[in-house]
Amino acid sequence: MRNPLFRPRALVAAGTAAVLALGAAACGDSGESDADVTFWHIQNEDPMKSTWQALADEWSEESGQTVEVSAIAVEDFKTRLSTQTQAGDLPDLYNTWGGGVLAEQVEAGLVRDISGLPCLDKVNPIALESYTIDGKLYAIPFDQGVVGFWYNKDLFAQAGITDTPTTWAEFTEDVQTLKDAGITPIALGGGDKWPIHYYWTYLAMRLVGLDGLAAAAESGDFSGPGFVQAGQLLADLAAMEPFQEGFESATYGEADGEAAVMGEGLAAMELMGQWGPQVQRDASGTEGIGESLAFFPFPAVEGGPGTATEFLGGGGGFAAGADAPDEIEDFMCYLLEEQNQARVVKDGNMSTVAANPEAVLPEPNHEQQAVIDALATATDTQLYLDQAYPPSIGSTINDASQGLVLGELTPEDFVAMVNEAWAAEQ
Amino acid sequence: MAAFISPALILFVLFVLVPVLFAAYTAFFRWNGLGGFPTDFVGLENFQTMLQDKVFLADLWRILLITILSIAVQLPMAFGLAMLLHQNFPGRTAFRLLFFVPYILTEAVTAVLFRLIFSPRRGFADAVLAGFGIDGIGWLSDKNIVIFVIFGILTWKFFGFHMILYLAGRQSIPEELYEAAKVDGATGKQLFRHITLPLMGPTLRITVFLSVIGTVQLFDLVYVLTKGGPFHASETLAITMYEQGFVRNQIGYASALSIAMFLLSLVFALIYQRYVLGRDLQGALTSSDGGRS
Repeated sequence: MRNPLFRPRALVAAGTAAVLALGAAACGDSGESDADVTFWHIQNEDPMKSTWQALADEWSEESGQTVEVSAIAVEDFKTRLSTQTQAGDLPDLYNTWGGGVLAEQVEAGLVRDISGLPCLDKVNPIALESYTIDGKLYAIPFDQGVVGFWYNKDLFAQAGITDTPTTWAEFTEDVQTLKDAGITPIALGGGDKWPIHYYWTYLAMRLVGLDGLAAAAESGDFSGPGFVQAGQLLADLAAMEPFQEGFESATYGEADGEAAVMGEGLAAMELMGQWGPQVQRDASGTEGIGESLAFFPFPAVEGGPGTATEFLGGGGGFAAGADAPDEIEDFMCYLLEEQNQARVVKDGNMSTVAANPEAVLPEPNHEQQAVIDALATATDTQLYLDQAYPPSIGSTINDASQGLVLGELTPEDFVAMVNEAWAAEQ
Repeated sequence: MAAFISPALILFVLFVLVPVLFAAYTAFFRWNGLGGFPTDFVGLENFQTMLQDKVFLADLWRILLITILSIAVQLPMAFGLAMLLHQNFPGRTAFRLLFFVPYILTEAVTAVLFRLIFSPRRGFADAVLAGFGIDGIGWLSDKNIVIFVIFGILTWKFFGFHMILYLAGRQSIPEELYEAAKVDGATGKQLFRHITLPLMGPTLRITVFLSVIGTVQLFDLVYVLTKGGPFHASETLAITMYEQGFVRNQIGYASALSIAMFLLSLVFALIYQRYVLGRDLQGALTSSDGGRS
């Protein structure tokens, strides 16, 4: 039988197919839109969703650049961004929390250096720290705040608790009191893992201090007794069963998740960042618990060097992809204009990052005031560990925190897992 | 002939063979996926890590569990329904359609749907139980039952697909065989045992095959439903691979996992083809006459 492959027509056909295939491969790679600027943010609920869209539209009008805005829920955002990172093609403007995740993107040459941005005088320099890597700035902030306990004053009063706890012993006592009164003490999105890591991190911050934490991250050795004890205290707390029913698979932001449980007044407190009150309203589809919502810092732990004025915190910022057009700096400055910052702070119920806070937030509401007060008393801050550390270690801490709370891991297992992850990263 | 195959062949090489080989290559490196090609060669370390990884080993166990449950529960149920729906009765087309509908839904939509049904506070499932005065069950949050709940959802979603295959298989059996056997005095039991079952053999064997391969590659439904939680209790091999690769940026290790998954599917497919599907697939890759027929 003749082999048809050697006939000219067959060769042409095969060649055409190869070209088509290569063409398809080349096109398939760029998932880009036709817009000049792609903008990814995580405020996928109104009013903030509309506010970012409006700001983008206004700037688009002014500059003649087209902007495509994508509002993506936070968990999906992390997933999609990490896929984009692997593909080496980040959006022109995208949400970031700074720290190790941003550093890894910077190291891969995927992020634009914006140290020369002409409008940085509009921002409080403290808010730029998380986004500064080796002396260069890679993102602008739009929100800055702290993690602490948002609690329901009515439910505390119902259980007969008059003062907020200042030590861990008082805290666990209050948890028991709430339980005895038939109130779910704590809302927790256990399925998402990261809400749990706040507890372990805070306990570690209190028990080894921020210096101890920094030293451990430097050496990749979390074996110290403080870290094991932090795990033990968290395991002890979990053993009291203080969380809402089904917390093991609950998410943070879904309609039956942590924030919604708080927003509906079904649990007494949650450990969450400055965005907590807003998400409570969004996720529960209610007006939240209004003036009943108040804030207290994570308590001090007896015997540890950490104080209650050291906060776990951070904020949201926007970084620009390396391939972004130069006009992106103009867009960033547009977002930082004081009247625009004011809109973001107002609609998003965020705490301000402005150099001149009064110009942006003349009359903070009680939630914003709580965050401002906490920031004012803060003696030091630590960025969320799942952002501060490289992704493999941050994820390990999140994962191990979940294992600890579910009783699947001992505090010693936890420390061993984190050490192993650091060793693999070296 | 080759001219017609070549476009497909080129696409296959570019989009299947090259990625597979690249994954096999990166599996020998420690690599976070960023910045050009991997450079940190670690030999078999990723594979050693994998064999000691409790999550990986538990993934294998769960694959086995779901496979056994599928063959023992899901497929017989689909088979029984197919036999029932082959009978002539009013409204049988409507029933066929109804049972097939879940298969049409995408896995992600199915997962979202069941997340709502199994929601701990006011989900439909708990509400029904409450009607009987029974306390809520941690459908997705109890590590001991979550895998069975997932199996239940998989059954709901896929039994219709298998049922349609069985129905088609049953309908292709010529009625003359039954008529002839009846003339010879065969009972209903004998008809089933000696005509239906043997002639449906090829269909049965292929559905077992599809079911096993589907189980090995299970991802979307479980990921949306539980993300593999609580604490890996419902994790699948594909989820472990995804988490390692795209959440932890351990592309090297994730590649090793993907190779394991590929080999698992491949070895199973080859063995199954050779020894079980052999008589159905005369002329395929592994047949004894080298595919000459």
